[in-house]
Amino acid sequence: MAEIRGSYGEQPHHLLTKWFGTADLHRLDVYESKGGYAALRKSLLDMTPADITNEVKTSGLRGRGGAGFATGVKWSFINRDAPGPKYVVVNADESEPGTAKDRYILENSPHMVVEGILIAAYAVGANQAWVYIRGEYDKPYQMLTSAIEEARAKGYIGPRPFGKDYPLDIRLYRGHGAYICGEETALLESLEGKRAQPRSRPPFPAVKGAWGRPTLLNNVETLATVPTILNMGGAAYAKLGTAKSPGTRLLTVSGNVRKPGVYEVEFGKTFRHVIMELAGGPPEGRKVKVFWPGGSSAPVLPESMLDVTTDAEALAAARSMAGSGGVIVMDDSHCVVRAAHRLLKFYAYESCGKCTPCRIGQDWAVRTYERILANQGSQLELDILLRVSDGLQNGRCLCGLGDSGGWVIDSTIRHFREEYEDHALRHECNVGKALTHA
Amino acid sequence: MTALSPHVLEEIKELPAKYPQPRSAVMPALDLAQEELGHLTPEAMTEVAHALQLDPGYVEGVATFYSLFHLEPVGKHRFYLCTNLSCMLRGANEVVDHLKSAIGVSGPDQVSADGLFSYEEVECLGACEYAPMMRLDHEYHYDLTAEKIDELIAHRRDGKLEAPLAGPPQRVGRVAAPRKPRAPRKKKADG
Repeated sequence: MAEIRGSYGEQPHHLLTKWFGTADLHRLDVYESKGGYAALRKSLLDMTPADITNEVKTSGLRGRGGAGFATGVKWSFINRDAPGPKYVVVNADESEPGTAKDRYILENSPHMVVEGILIAAYAVGANQAWVYIRGEYDKPYQMLTSAIEEARAKGYIGPRPFGKDYPLDIRLYRGHGAYICGEETALLESLEGKRAQPRSRPPFPAVKGAWGRPTLLNNVETLATVPTILNMGGAAYAKLGTAKSPGTRLLTVSGNVRKPGVYEVEFGKTFRHVIMELAGGPPEGRKVKVFWPGGSSAPVLPESMLDVTTDAEALAAARSMAGSGGVIVMDDSHCVVRAAHRLLKFYAYESCGKCTPCRIGQDWAVRTYERILANQGSQLELDILLRVSDGLQNGRCLCGLGDSGGWVIDSTIRHFREEYEDHALRHECNVGKALTHA
Repeated sequence: MTALSPHVLEEIKELPAKYPQPRSAVMPALDLAQEELGHLTPEAMTEVAHALQLDPGYVEGVATFYSLFHLEPVGKHRFYLCTNLSCMLRGANEVVDHLKSAIGVSGPDQVSADGLFSYEEVECLGACEYAPMMRLDHEYHYDLTAEKIDELIAHRRDGKLEAPLAGPPQRVGRVAAPRKPRAPRKKKADG
């Protein structure tokens, strides 16, 4: 097993990662010896589903997948009393560039995820949960599979968990390589055996989700946080972090830092703390130039904004977003235009093709970047980029993939216009070490 | 004779009952087909469609959407190298160049002369703290360098490691009629 890079061990702000690093934490007996499954027992035996949902509401927990929607509120959208099957679908299709936290959780403590799923299923009135896990995640898939087997052998998954007459089951469904499946309605299409193209909403998944049934969709990290919340109490959890972004979250710090890793951080800390202290800052002799605070889709922030804090509100005020918590750091030896070009290639490749602005626009942007980088640019190319960026945004597409490409263009031009003009107008790259392959 | 062996087709026919609606079986079924053949031939996709009582065009539509389904032969060991931003910033492109020359191919649609190796550049694989990284033989490999790549190749050339997905050699026997390559989406982006 590769060495753990990131948070583990007991520290006041380590809620999820407190026991990470414990030998064999992935085994049920070890997880239980650390207090595991106490929250599930309490939920089933001492709490009503409404109690559980209220506790999660009180905690202020917000979805960790990217959109940051209030988790307890989302749970309450499911009509528990609607006849017929209801589902919990877990989004384990982690594929936002720069984000590895769900893999980190699944590899270190799969039972924490299983426990969270089972609690959520009970709270929303579902008996069946499906985990949609990305196809490339072989090890997390194995870890989760054996955790589920163990929980089944122990009876926590089955007809009468903890003696309670409430059948619970979890099954896995493997993705097959498509970024778009991280988008919740595309994920549902894929789960139903179709090309993963987002649905138009309404109806929302809470009403008509997987196989046409009421469905709760949550991210891995979101559900992994639920046992902690029930153990410590929603009110205690809400005291951590900031008023509107309570608690902690796992930030994946990658790129040009000395100690890349997945760090559990209380909301409200600055990116300076995260990048310069936790991740050790840029390599010797280099400076941070720019960072993506929440995955590649979050608008970039320049070095001068390192004191922005990690909570959603501060990031929105800085015209970016908390997104998936993937912090990508780029130092001054790299070219912003080339980085933006690489990301637009990503969005163009991953566009599902359903909405015209995204299908055409992302590709148009890539070709424009290629002209610029081939020293064939002019003012026209810069104008095209901004025009395309606008066309991708503001609800012109069914899902956020369109916007994401637009934000990369927009935010890199906003903060690094000079670098773009060097390339497009003067046909030069003024970065110390230009990348030779973009 | 069918492209897929009878026991695989039997297994595929049992899949639909495992899901709330039978259509969900299409990807697990294509998995089984690809596991047997190494890649999805038109015949195999048609057989999957018939086994699942779906339209062959529908099945092909699903297969072409997802990057983990291969519609062309691939090497016994396929390197899936991440070149997205976090890996690129730590030298992924240099790793790709090294790999290409080490296995003697110039693009993702080629297979090394011995049929053992092929590669493709992929998007973020979610292990950014270990960049540059890749997936090979159902395992992640971290902190890649030219030396590590050489070691992994040598190991497999010596036959010390069996491919987990053992199937018939892909370049022998019945080969599908020439088809339009599947790569346009990627190629378009590469321009």
